[in-house]
Amino acid sequence: MKLKLSDKDISLLKVISQISGIFTLIVALTMIFSLIHLRTINPLDNPALLSVKEQFDKDQANIAKAEQVRAMDLMARKAYFATRSQVETGSYLLLAGAVIFLLCQRLIADNEKIIPSFAEKKHDKAELQKKSRTYLIIAGGLITTAAIVSSFMLRTGLPDISGNRGEASSEGRSRDVKVKEPDKSNWPFFRGQDSRGHAGGSGYPTEWNGAEGKNILWKTEIPRNGQSSPIVWENKIFITGAEGSTCEVYCFDKDNGHLLWTGSATGIEGEPTQEPETDHDTGLAASTAATNGKVVCAVFANGNLVCFDLDGNLKWSRNLGLPANVYGFSQSLIMYEDILIVQFDSDSKVSLLGIEAESGTQKWETLRRGRPVWSSPVLGYFGGRAQVIVNGNPEVTAYDPLTGEEIWTVEALSGDVAPSLAQNSKMVYAVTDYARLAAIKAGTGASIIWEDNYFTPDVSSPVANEEILIVATGTGDVACYNAEKGDTLWTHYFEDQYYASPIIADDMVYILNRSGVMNIVKASDKLEIIGEAPIGEDADCTPAFTDKLFIIRVNKNLYCIGEK
Amino acid sequence: MESENNKYQSRRDFLRKAGKIAAVAPLVALPSLLIRKATATGYVWQIDPFKCTQCGQCKTNCVLTPSASKCVHAYAMCGYCDLCGGYLRQGVKNISTGAENQLCPVAAIKRSFVEEPYFEYIIDEDLCDGCAKCVKGCADFGNGSLHMQIKHDICVNCNECAIARTCPSNAVIRVPALEPYLPKDKAGKH
Amino acid sequence: MSVSKAKVILVFLLLILWQVNAMAQDRFPRPEFETDYKYPEHQMPGQRGPLWEYFDVAVLIAALSVTAWLAIRKRSRRGLLYMSLFSVLYFGFYKQGCICSVGSVQNVSMALFNSSYSVPLSALLFFIIPLVFALAFGRVFCAGVCPLGAIQELTGFRPLKIPKAAEIVLASIPFVYLAIAVVFAATESQFIICRYDPFIGIYRLDAPHTMIIFGALLLLAGIFINRPYCRYLCPYGVLLNIFSRFSWKHLTITPAECTNCRLCEESCPYDAILPSDPEPVIRDRSSMRRNFLVYIIALPLFAAAGAVIAYNLSDFVAGGNSTVRLAREIRLEQETGLESLTKAAIAFREAGKTEEELFAEEVHITGRFRKAMPWAGIFLGLSLGAGLLANSVRSRRPGYVPHQGRCYSCGKCFKYCPIKVPEQNEVKA
Repeated sequence: MKLKLSDKDISLLKVISQISGIFTLIVALTMIFSLIHLRTINPLDNPALLSVKEQFDKDQANIAKAEQVRAMDLMARKAYFATRSQVETGSYLLLAGAVIFLLCQRLIADNEKIIPSFAEKKHDKAELQKKSRTYLIIAGGLITTAAIVSSFMLRTGLPDISGNRGEASSEGRSRDVKVKEPDKSNWPFFRGQDSRGHAGGSGYPTEWNGAEGKNILWKTEIPRNGQSSPIVWENKIFITGAEGSTCEVYCFDKDNGHLLWTGSATGIEGEPTQEPETDHDTGLAASTAATNGKVVCAVFANGNLVCFDLDGNLKWSRNLGLPANVYGFSQSLIMYEDILIVQFDSDSKVSLLGIEAESGTQKWETLRRGRPVWSSPVLGYFGGRAQVIVNGNPEVTAYDPLTGEEIWTVEALSGDVAPSLAQNSKMVYAVTDYARLAAIKAGTGASIIWEDNYFTPDVSSPVANEEILIVATGTGDVACYNAEKGDTLWTHYFEDQYYASPIIADDMVYILNRSGVMNIVKASDKLEIIGEAPIGEDADCTPAFTDKLFIIRVNKNLYCIGEK
Repeated sequence: MESENNKYQSRRDFLRKAGKIAAVAPLVALPSLLIRKATATGYVWQIDPFKCTQCGQCKTNCVLTPSASKCVHAYAMCGYCDLCGGYLRQGVKNISTGAENQLCPVAAIKRSFVEEPYFEYIIDEDLCDGCAKCVKGCADFGNGSLHMQIKHDICVNCNECAIARTCPSNAVIRVPALEPYLPKDKAGKH
Repeated sequence: MSVSKAKVILVFLLLILWQVNAMAQDRFPRPEFETDYKYPEHQMPGQRGPLWEYFDVAVLIAALSVTAWLAIRKRSRRGLLYMSLFSVLYFGFYKQGCICSVGSVQNVSMALFNSSYSVPLSALLFFIIPLVFALAFGRVFCAGVCPLGAIQELTGFRPLKIPKAAEIVLASIPFVYLAIAVVFAATESQFIICRYDPFIGIYRLDAPHTMIIFGALLLLAGIFINRPYCRYLCPYGVLLNIFSRFSWKHLTITPAECTNCRLCEESCPYDAILPSDPEPVIRDRSSMRRNFLVYIIALPLFAAAGAVIAYNLSDFVAGGNSTVRLAREIRLEQETGLESLTKAAIAFREAGKTEEELFAEEVHITGRFRKAMPWAGIFLGLSLGAGLLANSVRSRRPGYVPHQGRCYSCGKCFKYCPIKVPEQNEVKA
């Protein structure tokens, strides 16, 4: 171009460009190294510094060690900031080197004479076009092949749009199941269907009075005492009682309260000769029975497990061994299809058993980690999979009800764990007194989403729907949390203690206090007290909700409450 | 022959003209379609402090070294505690400004005494490398007044923010350029 | 179902806690200072004001005009090089490469297909203006305004010609790149053009090391294979290529009548010089006609085939979306029972979102990909068909002319042409 360069100039330029080229290369290599270094490394991750820090942590009074940490820390940080400024200057050096190199090379190149070249013969245009077309087709072919190959080779499992996820891999019947609406008349377990605390149907009374007889349909005496709650299947009510070492299962007629049959659960092989020590509040008949509409099973604090058909014929019985623990055995039974699930917590063994309800054959036993608890298992459905979830100590764990295989687990609680879990479609809520309230996202990779420690019941289990979580504490507080986020939406101090678990029915929450007064509030994010209704006796058991009726156990009496 | 060639030539000219018109069409259509949706002031990137999980990727994923995202302090939310989870390493027993107690790897938090029993914590942004360790400490043990923000005097406003692409909680969002910050003490909780 | 415990302490404790809870949302109450302590000022420096973006638009228009003048009227290769230098310095090092016209393709497509995103006006202008100039004056944007092109123009000083076969096959990559980039932007997945911009790291003197190495390698290769990014990657170049073909005025190799001296024949490193074809001697007119007809008929077939193939590819491409990737990870986790340890999976578990919601979102996004990909396939099929068609017609060319689609208006060929108009001869003398 314009500059006329002599051969001498050119050779000089060549030397300069070579030097700057080599310089640029070296700077570039060191730069890349320090850049990676700078991004990934924390200045204080130096192993020497870390070990000194560890020593210091063990002996924090040691001033000499502290001084050493300070000196090394300063050095590490100085080194870090030095690298940082090095990288900055380095990048300018690199740029300068590259510019010089390029400039020299350009000058050399531009100074060279252009020798226009010709193709040997003039191209045949038609031939050229034909070639171009061939190459284009080749290009298209290559892209097509790459596309087809990658669409087949790298095909990943597509999301199942119909929502029947897991069908292909379903091995057991516990897969691909969904929550069913709560039944309006059957109340098969402690806290109803799935032990969820939700009642089906509507039209439950909000007013009654035990002393005046208002809305009391019938009242009947239960032969023996107990803390277990009633369960209902069609028109039959089942409940357990025990006095001394005599344990019994009773069946009452829901229509009139007549005792239909009494099943004995005493004198079973392996039964301990000595009555186990239990807390007064617990007794031998603390566990609520369970039914699947074919059989009814009951368990007692001496380890006796019995199973009757609905007409009172004993199907099988066995003794589980003595569940010795501080307060006495209190786990209620639950059933998944034909499998009876027994949570067995004693000082010697903490386990979960799956027993075929029809025959009494034990299908599986899974030893659980941790200490004994007094909570009962619940049934949940997460990720299309049925699971029995135990509020353990310290872990909340879900098991496959058909195999006992562990599905997920999360460490949540400590202390004496007695309340059972509340749940909605996304989360389970674990709580116990002196520990905390933890909202756990259920399913594989379960984790605690939020937690709180202001309102923690000691006995009463919480209940949740999609929006709210209700807890009723042993001090008389009722608190409503935002189920998803954990904000406290409202609280109310009702003064009397709660042992019975709150139940959500017909958009209301029914909470029975220890004096036998039912507090009824709206199941909503605003506090709205609907009313309160007394039975007239002290009550600790969770009522059963069936066909617009409540069945409430109050010590030795069974009440049926409904609109007259 | 000549006339035939002319015929071809004119046919080609016609095609060329048609092509030109066809090419002009999208250039007219596109702006008129989009002009109603265009914003005159544009966007910048910012971290929503309420979504941030303090994973520490801001430090490593920004196209700049050190990262344009830094810790900032919402003083109005701060408890001015002596025992600060953002300033002190976990498990230290002596509360002092000694390097052995500090959590920040670059000593970018300056602690100073205000009045009994309150201490003020100020971030030296020139030192801060955006590792979010203090932010995590403050969120876990304190009021969460320390939070991450992208500093717009440093940010080069990439068309697609490299932090946004990798942010696991999608906390890096486009915000209007006229309101480029989402400070934790000014924004309402959402 | 009951357990009893001594609760006196507990009642007391709860009452205290309850009161604390009622008082403040924060864990630690905000202090009430007795001294006249004031909260320090927040430091919230803003971006360079938005008006500056319009200044950049003005600079863009000015630079395009000057480049067009230099290429078409002034015919100064030297001037074009200085223009490149200006762009490298202003749009590159000063503006640090954002926003550039190449990346703005994505902003425009995202705004077109997402009602929630409105395109910044400056991005829209950066997208439209170079295309308008291409329609008027050819690819003058590439010649000296685009910072990505300019840096390659400055470093490409030892051009080599590469075989025609390789050239054509490699030149098909930008079409695919453009199609995928638009699909990704339209589905709000990611901006791959920006993510894999090789030179932006050089302009910022900072980038992930992989991108810096990629950029440096491209520049090194570019010394011999000029403008490798423009030729074999640049997605915006595809659009410029199409628009430039219909340009009103275009750079010419010779300032006057071409004498067919053939001196420029091998001068273009981009294979963008079409040799003269004054009187096409068409030996087999009927076979040419047949070819043409075949390709006309094949055009819709190519489009259909492209749509089918691209549709099948959509699930694979959807993997480029982070939500889809996360959902797949979580599903894999469920199937294998092994916990995924990526940061996204951990963050997902900490957030309150359920798997069902995530999978629903995945289905929705994959659905968008399935809608978008056939169009990308149609575009690619049509491009192939159009390329074949263009190569099966012959036009009469009295002299050597640039291929208006491929020519970057760089002016390398000027000095090969022996014809000088008097005015320029004076300057030269």
